Parts: sequence; structure tokens; C-alpha cells
Amino acid sequence: MEAVALDRLEALRKKIRTLQASPRTYLATLRTGIPAIDELMPTGGFPLGKVVELSGEAAAGRTTLALQAIAAATREKRLAAYVDGPGELYPPFAAGVGVDLDRLLMVRPKAPRRLVWTALQLARSGAFTCVALDLTHTGVQLSLPECQKLSDAAFKGGACILVLSPKAGVGAGRVRLEVCATAPRVLGLEVVRSGSGAGRKVSLPLAALYSRLSLPFPKPGESEIRNPSSAPFKRVKLHSLRDGRGIDGTRPGRDIALPALAGSLGL
Amino acid sequence: MRALYLHLPRFPIQRRVVETPSLAGKPIVLSEEKRNQRKVAFASTAALTAGVRAGMTVTAATALIPSLEEFPFRMEEERNALLSLGEALLSIAPAFQLSAPDGLWLDASAAALCRGEEGLGRRALETCAGLGYRAQAALASQLFTARAVARDGAVGVKVVGSTEGASALSPLPLGNQGFGGSQLNVLRSWGLSTLGEVAALPPGAVVARMGLEGLRIHRLSRGEDDALLVPTAPAEAFEEHLALDWPAESLEPLLFALKTILDRLCARLAGRNRAAVRLSLVLRLSDGGQQRVELVLSQPSTRAKLLLDLAKNRISDLALSAPVAELRIQVEESCEDRGHQQVLGEMPQQHDALDVVLSRLSSALGAESLFAAEVDCVHRPERAYHPKPFRPPTPERGILKGTTEAQALQGPAESLERPARFFARPAPLKMEWSGQGGAVCVRLLGQRRKALVVTGPERLCGDWWEEVAYSRDYYRVHFEGLGPAWIYRDERDGQFYLQGLFD
Repeated sequence: MEAVALDRLEALRKKIRTLQASPRTYLATLRTGIPAIDELMPTGGFPLGKVVELSGEAAAGRTTLALQAIAAATREKRLAAYVDGPGELYPPFAAGVGVDLDRLLMVRPKAPRRLVWTALQLARSGAFTCVALDLTHTGVQLSLPECQKLSDAAFKGGACILVLSPKAGVGAGRVRLEVCATAPRVLGLEVVRSGSGAGRKVSLPLAALYSRLSLPFPKPGESEIRNPSSAPFKRVKLHSLRDGRGIDGTRPGRDIALPALAGSLGL
Repeated sequence: MRALYLHLPRFPIQRRVVETPSLAGKPIVLSEEKRNQRKVAFASTAALTAGVRAGMTVTAATALIPSLEEFPFRMEEERNALLSLGEALLSIAPAFQLSAPDGLWLDASAAALCRGEEGLGRRALETCAGLGYRAQAALASQLFTARAVARDGAVGVKVVGSTEGASALSPLPLGNQGFGGSQLNVLRSWGLSTLGEVAALPPGAVVARMGLEGLRIHRLSRGEDDALLVPTAPAEAFEEHLALDWPAESLEPLLFALKTILDRLCARLAGRNRAAVRLSLVLRLSDGGQQRVELVLSQPSTRAKLLLDLAKNRISDLALSAPVAELRIQVEESCEDRGHQQVLGEMPQQHDALDVVLSRLSSALGAESLFAAEVDCVHRPERAYHPKPFRPPTPERGILKGTTEAQALQGPAESLERPARFFARPAPLKMEWSGQGGAVCVRLLGQRRKALVVTGPERLCGDWWEEVAYSRDYYRVHFEGLGPAWIYRDERDGQFYLQGLFD
């Protein structure tokens, strides 16, 4: 009995020594997990303590990029916030990207004038590692003093502020990325402004952005929407999307006909 | 059984000064109505020095000190305050018994956990000092002995051994021991002034002259007390209130009063090993109205400073119609306090910062504007998640790290084909069809866009048992000059709608 207790004590001591000897890890950047995008940034990812502006078209991939950064923060057990100006962020998608929803605070202010103030408060508090400020469809344009305040708040709180703005937005951050879907299956990123590395561009398959989601990107013309008044629906690829399961699939042992019992029962 | 008696000299006066620090050092009295006369029940040190005594009429006391301030003495309030103190002391003792209005007994059976009986006494005094009270403590094997020694013979902490009761009581005066007035007069008429002198009398002679009451006094004087500690049941609800003597018109006096009751509330929570999760603060106004403020914590806490910061953020923006006359705070939801083990390099102020910023935002934007989302196993896209209060999980620390099962971060399978931006009100789309019936163009975001790639359909239908049944065919369409969009055809009207964007 005593020997067992001593062994357990020794094991605990060993664990304590290991913990004390292990180097402390400090988070300096938020990596998206997509090497091509991370390499674009001089710091190898979205830098903490800075403002990064992600500008681009309506469905260019800005939100997914921001969510990748938020997922990186929540993976490190940090907190993140999403100031959702248009109120359009879809949490099931964020969960699919890898965001821990328990660590993501969603803020949807009713008044657009409160958006920047909210992001400032969150970043300045020091409690959040990543704060996304979504100004899409809100009509809010950052003024220069507001940009300066955001930079100061990010520096003070050690947070990375991601400003999602439409293409015509005013540059807020020291790092600005232009995102655009150049072709149906190609995503283009360009560092417009940065401490170093401005003007770097990268084009990568759109599927790379959604690699975790494994979205299939078919070739043009593979399937079509038919006019319901002219022709019946053509069901394409539904079965493969369900991985061979579901009501369309036949599951061995369950969906085959059962043998008749009449003979065994003597009927 | 060993018991500790905690004596708080003139506790009602101490409590009044703690609640209103501007009264410190001033002559004040607490009066009660007796035979249609207001008589002094308790007096401050300044009043006692000037000659005011308990039992004196307030008129006579005012004649001695014209600047004397008088407040009503309410036994129920003092009892409640003592009850709060007793609950706060439950962190060091398993049970307590009230001895209103100025003391309480603690069960000292767990003194070994406080480094002995003297350590227990010191911890009790420290807890009192933390709440602003001055106290004296004595430990003995009999309740009477502990109380008598704490009231008259103790400075700080005094420990009376199990066989030293009689000797410890011997020099103590007869008065102030809770004996009846008639018995006390009889003993004094015999020329007795201390408990030791009573103990020296032959018991038979005392019984012959004073009856059973005399025998009881004699036994108590000899350190023989059979009374057992009867634990006082703590209050079910964690609630504190404070009536302000002068209605508060500005934030500063209000915050001070709030700090007083929060200190008391948090001490009670700590004593019961509970932590507050949600509180409600009610400000009663002098015009009869009231204002209610909800305080929601992201993580359970018992720290008064944090709660005060949260309350400050919430009430500083309030526009009140009249001064505040009374404060009432109640813990609406509490949980077990599991403590907080910090590691090297950890900054505890970060935890406070989260609650403070959430409180500030909640006050400015409304509590419904801040939430965390939880995904539901529902096929209907607009019901696939619901908001919940933002309470991030407590991080694992030190040696416990990695002991619990890691949570799966990957979302449910249903999220694979869902857009990043979801429109609560889907925009109708005007489709243009080719000669063969295929979709070619659509008017979207003010432009005519060509559909380049189409995936689908994914048929979702259900809720047929409700009035809002749905049946939709979803497609992911990559439009020209735009990223992928999520559109659907509603089976009910045959129209196409834009549901979201894969931004």
C-alpha cells in the first residue's frame, strides 16, 4: 500500500518536473493553417497587436479567412470575438471551420455607430486574442482617428483586430489584404499594405480555403438547375454527398427483404 | 465539545459605522422605544466618553451632547447582519450559533485545520477585520465560559483549557453575564462582585436561598455548563439590502453603499463555498419607484471588487428619476466554488477584464446583443443554432492539464455545405433560363450575373406538422464576378431565393 502511494508520489513529482522544465509557449501570430496565405504575411500569419484589414468582394472568402484565424486562437484555448455588423455570420459554418463556439463571443450591436466602439472595448480589454470587426453592408467607413484608435487598442490589448470591409473601404490596418475570387475555382490574395512584403500576391484554389470542409468543387456544367416549369428535377450527386448513406442508399442487413417466417411457424 | 465565542463590542454601532464611514469618531447612539420613551441602547465611544450610558433617555443624552446623532435600533437588522457574519465564518467552522446582538459561537471541532485553536481564533478575527468589524475571541469547553471570557477577559484570542474553566471565570465581574436582574441584585446584596466569589459559596446554601436559578448561576460560575451548541440555520437565499440614511443623489455614495453589501454578500458566498453566476440589483428610489439591474458573470466569482466593477458599469449609465433610498442585491444563480489555481505567469486581471468588458458592452448594447452560439441538430438552416450566454470554459492548468477529454472542435457533418454568411431574410432571385430549361443568369446585388458552376440540389423539408412547414432544394452556385452563393428553390411558390454566401 505504502509502495503504491510512493510510486504515485514519484510519478506526480516527475510530472511536475516535466511541466516546470517545458518552455512556455507564447502566441505571436494567428496562422490560418493554409501555408500559401501564411507565407504571404511577413510574420507568418496574422500578427497579434496589429490591425489587419481584409477587403474584397461580397463572397471572396474574407469571412472564412477571418474564421480560420479565430479557429487558430480558439485552438490555443484563447478567446475571440466577432463584431457582426450585418448580423450574417453563420455559426454552424464557423464550427465546421474549427472554431470552438464556446470561446467565440458574438456581438451584434443594433446601431452601426456602436460597431467600432465595441471592437475597441473588446480589443483594449486584453481578454480577447482575436477580434473580427465586420463592416460589410453596414455603411460604416472608418475615419483616420478611428483607425488610430483601433491600432492603439490592438497594441494595448495584444489582440489581432481583423477588419472585414467592402472593397471600397478605407484602409484601417497596417496590413491590408485584398481578397478576390478571380475565377470560379481560384482565390486571389494580395498584400496591399504592410511593414514589409507589400505587393506580394498569391493565387490558390478556392478549395484550399475550404479544405477542412471538403466541399466538392465540380467542373462547370456537371450539374444544373432546371427550370421547374420546363423539366423535372435532375438529381445529381446527392447520393455521393451523403457518403453512400441515407434514404437513397441501401444499407446491407437493414434494407434487404427479410425471409418469410410462415414456414418456420407451421402456418 | 470545544466552542469559540466571537464577541463584537457594541456590534450595532460598529455596523452603523461600517455602512456610513463618515460617522466614525462622532457621538452617535442607537435608541429603542421603552415605555413610551426613547432610550439609548448602544452608544459610540465618543458618546460614552461624554457621559452617555445605555438605558439613558435620548433627551438626557442630547442634553449632554447637543451634536449627538440618533439612529433607531432594530434587533432584526442586527440579527441579520450577525447571520451574514456567521455564514462568512462557515469557511473556518462547520457551524455557528447566534448570540444577538453582539456575538456568536463557532464550533471549534475543526480547529486542527486552522493550525490549532489559537489559529482558528486568529482566522475568525481576520475574517471580521476584513468586513470592518473589531472582535475578541475566546475558546473553551463550555459555551458560557467562552462567552464570559470573550466579553470581559479576552484581548485578541484567549484559549481556556478544558479543566481551566473555573479559574478563567474566577476574576470576571458578575454583571454583563446574562443573569437576571433580581438574581444579580441578590448576589450583589451579599457583597459578591465576581464569578469566583459565587463559585466559592456552598451550593446547598445558594439553592436554599435562590432556588434552581441560583443553582444554575452557581454551576455556571464554577465552569459547569451542559448547554450544547445549537447550530443556526443559514439563510436559503443569498440576499443583502441596505437602507440609506440619506438618499444617494450621485454615484459615489451609491457605490460605497454597494461595496458594503457586496463585501458582506461575497463573504457569505465564500463561507458557504458558493460562487455567484447571476445577480440582480434593485435600486429603490425615494419617490417609490425602483430600477432593476441584472449582473451576469461569464465565470462564477466571489470577488466583491469584480462585482462592484460590473455594477458600476451598469448603474453609471442609468438615468434615475429620483435619488436612491435603498439597495437590495440577490444572487439569482450560484454554483459550487471550485476555486482558481493560478500558474506562474498567469495574470488574474485578465479574468476580471473579461467580465468588466462584457458588463460594459451589455450595459451599452443590451444583453441580447452578446451571446455565444450553440449548434443544434436541426436540418432547417435558420434554426440550426441558438444563442446562449457567453461563458467560456475554464482553462485547464498545471498538473490537471490534459486529464480531461479533449473536446472535439470539428463541427457537425451538417455544417459541411453551409455558407459563412447566412441571410435571415432570403432575397428573391430573378432567374433567367436557357432554351433547354437550364439556369444561365440571375440578377444579384444589382448586376446580371452568369451562373458558372452549380452543385446540388440538397433537398431539405420538414416541420409538416407546423404551420411553417418548409420544402426547399438548395444549390451552391458560383456566379460570375462573385464567389459561391447558396440559393434555394422554395417548393411552395417555385421561386428562387439567395440564402447565403460562401464568403
